[in-house]
Amino acid sequence: MARRVIYPLYQLGNPQLRLFRPTFTMTLVRPGKEQPPDTVQFRIPIEMTKIDVRNYLEKIYDVPVAAVRTRIQFGSNKKRNHLNQRVKRPDYKVAYVQLAQQQTFEFPDIFPKKDASLEEGSLEEMQKKFMEDERQRQKPDPRRGGVTEWFGL
Amino acid sequence: MAASSMGRLVTLCRQFQRVVNISAPVQAQYSTHTLTRYQCFSKRQLCEPPWLSNTGNSAQCRLLHTSTIRMGLEEFFDIPENWGEPTVKSGAPWTAKQLRLKSNEDLHKLWYVLLKEKNMLLSIEQEAKRQRVQMPSPERIKKVERSMTRLDTVVQEREDALRLLQTGQEKARPGAWRKNMFGKNLWHRFKEYPIPWHLNKRYKRTSYFTPSFVSPYTRLFIEKQLKAKMRKQRRERQERQKLAKIFPKTSAHA
Repeated sequence: MARRVIYPLYQLGNPQLRLFRPTFTMTLVRPGKEQPPDTVQFRIPIEMTKIDVRNYLEKIYDVPVAAVRTRIQFGSNKKRNHLNQRVKRPDYKVAYVQLAQQQTFEFPDIFPKKDASLEEGSLEEMQKKFMEDERQRQKPDPRRGGVTEWFGL
Repeated sequence: MAASSMGRLVTLCRQFQRVVNISAPVQAQYSTHTLTRYQCFSKRQLCEPPWLSNTGNSAQCRLLHTSTIRMGLEEFFDIPENWGEPTVKSGAPWTAKQLRLKSNEDLHKLWYVLLKEKNMLLSIEQEAKRQRVQMPSPERIKKVERSMTRLDTVVQEREDALRLLQTGQEKARPGAWRKNMFGKNLWHRFKEYPIPWHLNKRYKRTSYFTPSFVSPYTRLFIEKQLKAKMRKQRRERQERQKLAKIFPKTSAHA
């Protein structure tokens, strides 16, 4: 959907209006309050409707949708800037999508902690140590205050 | 006037012909998604069903079209190999030059690929904000957005060319210069109405003309603008003279 597009006026019997390049973005978020296992929470643009959400998920992502409920979240305007003016956070729409066909969804842990510690005496550990030593050696003398090496008495 | 518009039309025709000539051989070699994250997508394509990948020689392979597998809601997240990685490799965004070589169908498919990618990145970003960790390679969002805007411009270029060839209209939304009731010349964009204008009360309420008693004010308005312009010029000149008096030896450029 190109921006600032105006659709032809719809009158009964006209062909259905079609969207060729949708600009709607849907953000799958972890629900703040616990939801039933078949419910998925999304943040969507305010202009998007329930029917849009259903079509979007069914046509683009091939996800069976049973029901869609939406609400609009008020972005707080309590924060003040350095001039003591109110700063508004943008509002957004929240969609709760219930999946059909007994499908369930659980939000995965996409930032798992990976162990960074390496074993004592292993090749990688030695390599890391060597690289650190080299980096230390390559550093210029701090007493010179950033003056280049070739300049001096 | 007429000659120049004819000339423009001829050059456009030539451009269009060139585009058609170029795009014909391009359609044969099908390009799979060289996405910003082409590395990951190649992995995704690896897990395609065996009956699709078992195509004899390489020429057939190139013509064979396989799109990525739909994985439902898992497409809102990165592939599991990239979870917990500090950085994720990504290529350059699509340039307009590259996109101009693609067919309309390819562009339409690419739009949805980019849209899914953007949704995925926004989901990751939101989750990273929530957990207060850094998002891996946040520059990918900007890359995808750039690709999308470029794709949009390319499609609009094609629409414009086609419209100019078929109808000769320069703008997608027709309009005209009209005077409003204050004597200002404004670009009025036409709108569709369900009933003709002479029956449309709401349309007739709008006044696209300047009443005769406004014309002296139009003259005054022009005079005011000219005076302001003159005053500005004079002020600048006097400032320059003053500076020249204080610093006589400095050159005029300094």
